[in-house]
Amino acid sequence: MRSRGFGGFAAGALVAGAVLWSFATTDVDLSRLLSAGPRIADFLGRMVPPDPTVMNEILKGSAETLRIAILGSLGAVLLSVPLGILASETMVSPVLYRPVRTLLAFIRAIPLILVAMLMVGAVGLGPLPGIIAVAFHATGMLAKFYAEAIDGVSRAPIAALESAGAGPLARLRYAIWPQMAPVVARDTIFRFELNLRESLILGIVGAGGIGFYIQTYVRSFQYDKAASMTLAVIAMVIAIEAINVALRRRFA
Amino acid sequence: MSAAAQIGDLSFVHQGAGLPALDHVSLMVPAGESTALLGPSGAGKTTLLALLDGRLRGWRGRVSVLGAPLDPDHPPPRAGRPEVGFIFQEFALVERSSVLRNVLNGRLGRMSPVRAALGSPLPRDLEVARAALADCGIADLAERRVDSLSGGQRQRVAIARCLAQEPRLILADEPVSNLDPARAAEILTLLTGAARARGATVLFSSHQPDLARRFADRIVGMRDGRIAFDVAVGDLSDVATADLYRETTALPAIGLRAVT
Ligand SMILES: Nc1ncnc2c1ncn2[C@@H]1O[C@H](COP(=O)(O)OP(=O)(O)OP(=O)(O)O)[C@@H](O)[C@H]1O
Ligand SMILES: [Mg+2]
Repeated sequence: MRSRGFGGFAAGALVAGAVLWSFATTDVDLSRLLSAGPRIADFLGRMVPPDPTVMNEILKGSAETLRIAILGSLGAVLLSVPLGILASETMVSPVLYRPVRTLLAFIRAIPLILVAMLMVGAVGLGPLPGIIAVAFHATGMLAKFYAEAIDGVSRAPIAALESAGAGPLARLRYAIWPQMAPVVARDTIFRFELNLRESLILGIVGAGGIGFYIQTYVRSFQYDKAASMTLAVIAMVIAIEAINVALRRRFA
Repeated sequence: MSAAAQIGDLSFVHQGAGLPALDHVSLMVPAGESTALLGPSGAGKTTLLALLDGRLRGWRGRVSVLGAPLDPDHPPPRAGRPEVGFIFQEFALVERSSVLRNVLNGRLGRMSPVRAALGSPLPRDLEVARAALADCGIADLAERRVDSLSGGQRQRVAIARCLAQEPRLILADEPVSNLDPARAAEILTLLTGAARARGATVLFSSHQPDLARRFADRIVGMRDGRIAFDVAVGDLSDVATADLYRETTALPAIGLRAVT
């Protein structure tokens, strides 16, 4: 009881300290804070009505985002199959799967937008750096999921097929794969949804897709056009969500 | 009388276990007959059956199965594995696959590796699988997924997969322990009947003396990794059966005396 009371006090002090430190070291001038409200309202005012003439750009941008997500996901799947096997406890020795898992955790720790920025620097503007960034970033999660799918397979049917004289390929196809397939399908769809969502904003750092137009319009003060693009992004996120719900129902 | 399996002075300790699961076991399993391995939980039945199936390493003693000696340090050659069929205590079926697919899985060892991996069974494979399904009374379940079946139906699928393998020796680990008495008798009838029709030897484990007496030609009692008795069912009187029952349920390990 005593130690818990002390723990609570320590946590409270830590939070208070963090808030005070942030205030003291950030230049939050009271007058600026008070004028922020009206300025945001003014900014939003200039966004309405959204300019509907950008329909073409919306379609072009969305199609490019979709392409980035599809090709990025394909790249992630291709990378995740071998890496997933190498990260599996049941397929390889600890000497191999431990470092591979560390590598995957390291990849997951790098935010996508950062990878995209680096890739724009490396290969230039356009969808290509976006595709590479999505493939790289998504592999950190997908390969881990694939490894878990492999390790989650029940061993008994595999042993039964081995006892019947089935070779390794036949065991993979008829005992391991049927158990893994639904998990792999579910995880891949889940990661594709994330890829689509996350690649909507990649254009902001110049890596292609609908975000590129939003960034261009904001920088050139065409807020009504930026508003239309933003609404399109919101609509796409909702559509992705709806499709995902429908897919989940089918897989359940 | 020829032997389907010959075991001499066999001992085995599971990895990490203190006591041996098999302790100087010597046993002959006669070919063409049905033998019951009777013993309480932990007697070593599963261990002995798995060892005969070539799945355990590091044992000591002499074991030969269907005339070929087993190597304690290496798995048996794959070519010979279909000859020994195994019916697992927990079925070990692929839950998301169809009944027919599971039964065809029993044929994989009989196909060339390429054909097995490509998944193109020959007409003969399908024929054998269909016959096994029919013998087990589940021809109408062929297209059903295993995860939609009852325990008794799964047991039949497990037996059908084993029969489809066309083994000469069938090792069945408690094939009826999960079933009610009526179902249990049904399953043992079809297992021993199908084996007899195919000229195969059966060695099944059980902890129910009445079933052992009814469906086996020979009963081998096991306790604490040792053979407690080994009798032909024809020699058993009712008194001896009652003793048998006590033998497999009572606590102190005593040898069987009432046999003549
Ligand atoms: N994988 C294992 N690791 C360690 N010990 C084991 C293992 N499998 C079995 N044992 C031990 O070996 C002994 C024999 O077990 P076994 O499973 O062969 O008995 P059984 O006669 O089949 O029992 P049951 O009727 O419960 O299936 C037991 O003491 C058990 O605890
Ligand atoms: Mg057992």
